[in-house]
Amino acid sequence: MAAAGGFRTVEPLEYYRRFLKENCRPDGRELGEFRTTTVNVGSITTADGSALVKLGNTTVICGIKAEFAVPPVDSSNKGYIVPNVDLPLLCSSRFRPGPPGEEAQAASQFMADVIENSQVVMKEDLCIVDGKLAWVLYCDMICLDYDGNLLDACMCAFLAALKNVQLPAVSINEETGLAEVNLKEKTPLTIRKEPVAASFILFDSLLIVDPTAEEEDLATGTVTIVTDEEGKLCAVHKPGGSTLTGAKLQDCISRAVTRHKEVKKLLDKLIKSKKAK
Amino acid sequence: MAAAAPRLAEERVGQVVLPGDVLLLPSQPEEDGERLRLAPSGPQKGRLVCGPGLRRGGEGLLVTKCGLLRYRGPAGQAGGGTGSGSGGTYWVDSQQKRYVPVKGDHVIGIVTVKAGDIFKLDVGGSEQASLSYLAFEGATKRNRPNVQVGDLIYGQFIVANKDMEPEMVCIDSSGRANGMGIIGQDGFLFKVSLGLIRKLLAPACEIIQDLGQLYPFELVLGMNGRIWVKAKTIQQTLIVANILEACEHMTAEQRKHAVARLSES
Amino acid sequence: METEQKRFDSGDLPALRRILCEQGLLSRPDGSASWIQGDTSVLVGIYGPTEVKVSKEIYDKATFEVLLKPKIGLPGVYERSREQMIKKTCEAVVLGTLHPRSSITIVIQVVTDAGSLLSSCLNATCMGLVDAGLPMNSLFCGVTCALDADGNITLDPAMKQEKEARAVLTFAIDSAEKKILMSNTKGSCSVEELQQCIAASQRAADTIFQFYRDSAHRKYSKW
Repeated sequence: MAAAGGFRTVEPLEYYRRFLKENCRPDGRELGEFRTTTVNVGSITTADGSALVKLGNTTVICGIKAEFAVPPVDSSNKGYIVPNVDLPLLCSSRFRPGPPGEEAQAASQFMADVIENSQVVMKEDLCIVDGKLAWVLYCDMICLDYDGNLLDACMCAFLAALKNVQLPAVSINEETGLAEVNLKEKTPLTIRKEPVAASFILFDSLLIVDPTAEEEDLATGTVTIVTDEEGKLCAVHKPGGSTLTGAKLQDCISRAVTRHKEVKKLLDKLIKSKKAK
Repeated sequence: MAAAAPRLAEERVGQVVLPGDVLLLPSQPEEDGERLRLAPSGPQKGRLVCGPGLRRGGEGLLVTKCGLLRYRGPAGQAGGGTGSGSGGTYWVDSQQKRYVPVKGDHVIGIVTVKAGDIFKLDVGGSEQASLSYLAFEGATKRNRPNVQVGDLIYGQFIVANKDMEPEMVCIDSSGRANGMGIIGQDGFLFKVSLGLIRKLLAPACEIIQDLGQLYPFELVLGMNGRIWVKAKTIQQTLIVANILEACEHMTAEQRKHAVARLSES
Repeated sequence: METEQKRFDSGDLPALRRILCEQGLLSRPDGSASWIQGDTSVLVGIYGPTEVKVSKEIYDKATFEVLLKPKIGLPGVYERSREQMIKKTCEAVVLGTLHPRSSITIVIQVVTDAGSLLSSCLNATCMGLVDAGLPMNSLFCGVTCALDADGNITLDPAMKQEKEARAVLTFAIDSAEKKILMSNTKGSCSVEELQQCIAASQRAADTIFQFYRDSAHRKYSKW
């Protein structure tokens, strides 16, 4: 065992290749196997919606806070969704304290892109009074434990938290012109699409699903595919890395569609059990 | 078709090649592959040397830089693109500004640090080169060379590879200076592209010959793109420097014209 | 006069906007390129291999740094994500292992954005890398496709077409095997549409690689 540990430290790439030759991975998974996914919703009572997602060791918590804002000038009937991914020093020693690093910023932008692309929530639904008042949803995703595949975990946490959001009814007092919030009457958000992400790493010419942090470091490229429930593509995100043929990409997509079904099943079950309570 | 289909290397000599192009080599008998050779000096007959800008790829040579493909026959005779095909040297002649140290290159360095027994020299590469105080002609522990920070040194690389700090010397293998050492106080140093330096250093370079007819001057050419010139007056020095700098863009005719006009005045 | 000669013009291209490229126009950087694609214009300067900060040093390969400067204001989160994509694309193509413990800095300045900005940045970067003489195992190019409501593909869309499009897909394609190096999508599309876009981009890539080749021929013809 000690010898294997030493080998792993000295020649991580060769160590990993030996496993791949046998079609398995150091953590015992097959190449196309996802880690156990667990979701818990409503864990933060002070937020309007929240979810905690664990993908193996990777843990992401998402809290959604709704606030009032004036709609943007150019589209007066829209609200805002502001995603933000935070990678604190707490989750991995690779991150530095201080302003968000490159990876956190890229992940935030990816989330914003997916929200925009998939139309998961119509921004028109967030408008309360045209041109006067709209909801702004601050979606903060904080990584508590970083062990690879951040984007999948963030996407899943975001969707689960969104399903958990309960917005209070708002009425405008005609005399004062001020908004009055009725906290007793709460309605869930209308969720139009359900985007689910599936990430892969490229290792030589092999496709490996749901990478750990160690695998991500050794890999020569990553691909993240986001699909909605109709099998449409909301994002095909491949930031550089080694090349991929159209056929390989097709393979990724079909796996992403299967993954979507799994995650949807998990979320539906969770929401049902929550309602039953 | 944009990506050129793999073609024989010899067909493309003198043509422009781009990164990613594959050059096929004529199939050759493999017998002299790893056999122990008695005289391991210089490129042997039937042995192919893969020069700058090329790498060995799966079926032949992979081009990694943009430029003109050049070839020199196995016996050392220049040109001869349609050579025997069984050996020789292929390389890519490219225009580049940044210098990467190569073993054996003569360069001009600027002393930046004097640290005990070692000088650090800026040679324009990614790392500073080191130079021992003993690597000068006639230098001993007692008799140290007089080198100050800011001095220009003309020397040669004896260690230059990607994994180690480059090291320079100012003596040849027999301990002679052979023109190397500290460059004098006056004169003028400027930078040109690496392609121009190679052109100037080619045997019987026309530019140097043309300039030599104007008036006498001293000239040091470093493979790292640095040129040092000194003529009798500052004005003459600057004229030479300006012409050399302008050679980057001028055609041979334009240059001849400019030199002719100068020699008149 | 000098710049007139150096600038290389594609003339009219099938399915793409006109391309203009000029290499080595900046004197200080080790490699530079200006890339004009239709009305979109990008300027790239490349330094490298140079000394690297100790904190960023990688013992077995070069450290890449990409800085994307927008036309107005400071770079934000959007630019960061684009920088990351360009950086990882370059890392896959440039043989960084030949220059360990050194840094390669790529500075991209947006001059005008009139659509297909990311692909223009990629193309400009590739030309800049070629000009800097950095060793690469292949070339790459960027192609943007816009899908309209009826599913028609427009290659190299202008700003207006990009805004009206249902989906905009950008790919980076390598010259050796025409495989996909990078992919970025905006809007949603079906799987078939994605594959069609990839095929169209691969065809367009041929045109761009031919342009690279012609431009290199031109550069070295008078040398």
